Amino acid sequence: MKNATQSQIEESLTCQCGCGLTVHSCNHVQCPSGIPLKAEIAEQLAAGKNSTEILTYFSIKYGEKILSSPTTTGFNLVAWVTPFAVVLGAAVLIIVASRRWRRPIAPAVPVGTPSAGDDARRSRLNAELDRFDA
Amino acid sequence: MVEIGVLALRLALIGGLYAVLAAIFGAQMRRPALVRSSRQAAYAVHALVAAAALVLWHALITRDFSLEYVASYSSSTLALPYRIAALWGGQAGSLLFWVLILTTMSTVVHLQNRERNEALMPYVTATLMTIAAFFLALLVFITGPFERLPVPATEGADLNPLLQNYWMMIHPPSLYLGYVGCSVPFAFAIAALATGRLGDVWIRTTRRWTLFAWFFLSVGNLLGARWAYEELGWGGYWAWDPVENAAFMPWLVCTAFLHSVMIQEKKNMLKMWNMVLVLLTFCLTIFGTFLTRSGIVSSVHSFTQSGLGPFFVAFLLAIIAIVVVLVTMRRELLRGENEIDSFLSREAAFLFNNLLFVGIAFATFWGTIFPVISEAVRGIKITVGPPFFNKVNTPLGLALLFMTGIGPVIAWRRASARNLRRSFTVPLLLGFVTGIAIFASGWRNYYAVVCFSLSAFVLATIFMEFYRGTRARQALMGETPARALSNLVGKNRRRYGGYVIHVGVVMVFIGVAASSAFRLEEQETIKKGAVVNVGAFELTYKDIHFTDGAHYSSMLAEIEVKKNGTFVETMFPEKRFYKKQQQPTTEVALRSTLIEDLYLVLGSYDDASGLMTLIVFVNPLVNWIWIGGLVLVLGTVIVMSPTAAEQRALAAALAVEERGLEAALR
Repeated sequence: MKNATQSQIEESLTCQCGCGLTVHSCNHVQCPSGIPLKAEIAEQLAAGKNSTEILTYFSIKYGEKILSSPTTTGFNLVAWVTPFAVVLGAAVLIIVASRRWRRPIAPAVPVGTPSAGDDARRSRLNAELDRFDA
Repeated sequence: MVEIGVLALRLALIGGLYAVLAAIFGAQMRRPALVRSSRQAAYAVHALVAAAALVLWHALITRDFSLEYVASYSSSTLALPYRIAALWGGQAGSLLFWVLILTTMSTVVHLQNRERNEALMPYVTATLMTIAAFFLALLVFITGPFERLPVPATEGADLNPLLQNYWMMIHPPSLYLGYVGCSVPFAFAIAALATGRLGDVWIRTTRRWTLFAWFFLSVGNLLGARWAYEELGWGGYWAWDPVENAAFMPWLVCTAFLHSVMIQEKKNMLKMWNMVLVLLTFCLTIFGTFLTRSGIVSSVHSFTQSGLGPFFVAFLLAIIAIVVVLVTMRRELLRGENEIDSFLSREAAFLFNNLLFVGIAFATFWGTIFPVISEAVRGIKITVGPPFFNKVNTPLGLALLFMTGIGPVIAWRRASARNLRRSFTVPLLLGFVTGIAIFASGWRNYYAVVCFSLSAFVLATIFMEFYRGTRARQALMGETPARALSNLVGKNRRRYGGYVIHVGVVMVFIGVAASSAFRLEEQETIKKGAVVNVGAFELTYKDIHFTDGAHYSSMLAEIEVKKNGTFVETMFPEKRFYKKQQQPTTEVALRSTLIEDLYLVLGSYDDASGLMTLIVFVNPLVNWIWIGGLVLVLGTVIVMSPTAAEQRALAAALAVEERGLEAALR
């Protein structure tokens, strides 16, 4: 039975056999990477190190690519922050834009294009269709 | 025979290029004969591609190992279904399969629109045939499926054993139908941009195609998950592999479009945004193909890797350039009547729903390409694996689940306090009670508790919609409850079919949350007679059996399974060794119930010591993911079945546009 720390560290490391899974998930028979790595984690734990120390040990020994997700320092922070920053930024944009949208706007469609003269008719049609659907 | 295939591909390429030119010149110079001829050319391209595919299938079925492709991806002992599936098991074949689906869809589109959309169709033809010509050029000049070996092989190398699984018979075709299906709305979008006919017609014409593509993307992703679950043997179904992400991203953006298009149809808002979503979905399908084939990021799907990456990049850049020019030219026409009265409105809810869909797509994209960015900036290779995607996408996904409960129910324009109370009091209460009950029963994974709580909330809103609608019909029409329900759904298929899809999605959420948060796992190396206890299960290793066939040899462990002390089943986790590829595979033994899956993997066996490693997973509620998939299929069938009102709406939109054109010509 594995203890939770061993599993947690296995989850934090990527198997180097090319499977793309974490060391914990890789189940290749006689995996040349996963099996020795699991043993190495157990050794490190037996030597009394904590998870942070063990992960540092692995990233020094095998390079940063062994960690299954980016660290939260330096340039790697960009990986973590960007998705949330983009979503929040877009949310702000929506709020700002919709404040502008709240004012009634004059129709800005140029005259003479195929769809131009039909806007009113189309909205009437849509309204009728909506009523029909409802 | 093979020469026919080669010739057919070359002629198809010429025909495709001719169709592009004839369609564009025919439309520009108002020469209907030329446009008609482009349409005929598109049919011919389809026939030629079908002929080439048949030739390759014939070679695979008759084991013609003089062909490099057949010798590389099949063997004399490979079963017939897999020899048929080998068409998409390798590079060249899968490209041929792609273009076969594309040209088949092109034919269907042309037949559907023989008598309508006359202005749009030449550009639709040109777009579809440009895409077909790109793939055909790859097949003719770069990676031919009909290359002969200098000396015919006596035996083939066999299909990758991981692909010798029945889910592989349907997962790639389904995903391809989804990917390629996105080309049709894209082609209509380009045609709408090129002609300036940016009214409702192109959207209404492509609605069913978009749903079709979305449906197969959904099913393809779920089947891929099911394949991974059964074949890869690591106990999970989704590993955020770059290629999984590549299929997930277009699905997300396509789903965003399916929601926001309703806002355009009802309110004439978000025209530009919808256009961007359609274009982006298609670009993501090409980007996905590039990811799969370039090897730029390491992936479990490396069996399709090749040197085709640069061609896909070039194609993608060309598409983006054309799209940017067209959208910029037409930006005035794409201005919608954007108006939002309140954030407590369905319009706003849909905007935030779109934000979350596209946000998750972006986060997935970002994580997938971040290793490349990191290497470019710091010169250091890093890995962005499953823990990153789970951490980033889980909160966004839960927010989306919340919106699933809000969006369909909240009032248009401005929700009154009464509307909010009436729609959400009971569901919110139910959500809270569920959360508290689960928490009180000792389950301490916060994300999972929130997920169950939100699921209860969403299911309650949906149930109330069905209940109120049925009651209203009973009261107004005097119908029986069953008839009222069936009429309710039948007369509002988009709305209630959509709710059914939401129920399916909630089931998937529940299955994913439970199986990720509360999974039990155990790995033991044991001798015969030993017992392993996992949760309520008691597993006894009884025996090991060996079989040897021409295609593969196999060993099966015999495991007696007891649950709470009662015998339930004998299970046989298996390890196979495929002889030609010299590769072992895991064949999981699965006992699936609605409560949990018992998932057994034979890790390894050592003959000398008699020790066998057994890996055991107990995955709670995982079956609900697949059941949710089936519910989603049901919902999509309801949504896609045409109603008379909808056909009238399309006819009316077409009439409006024709009148507009006449007015413009006068």
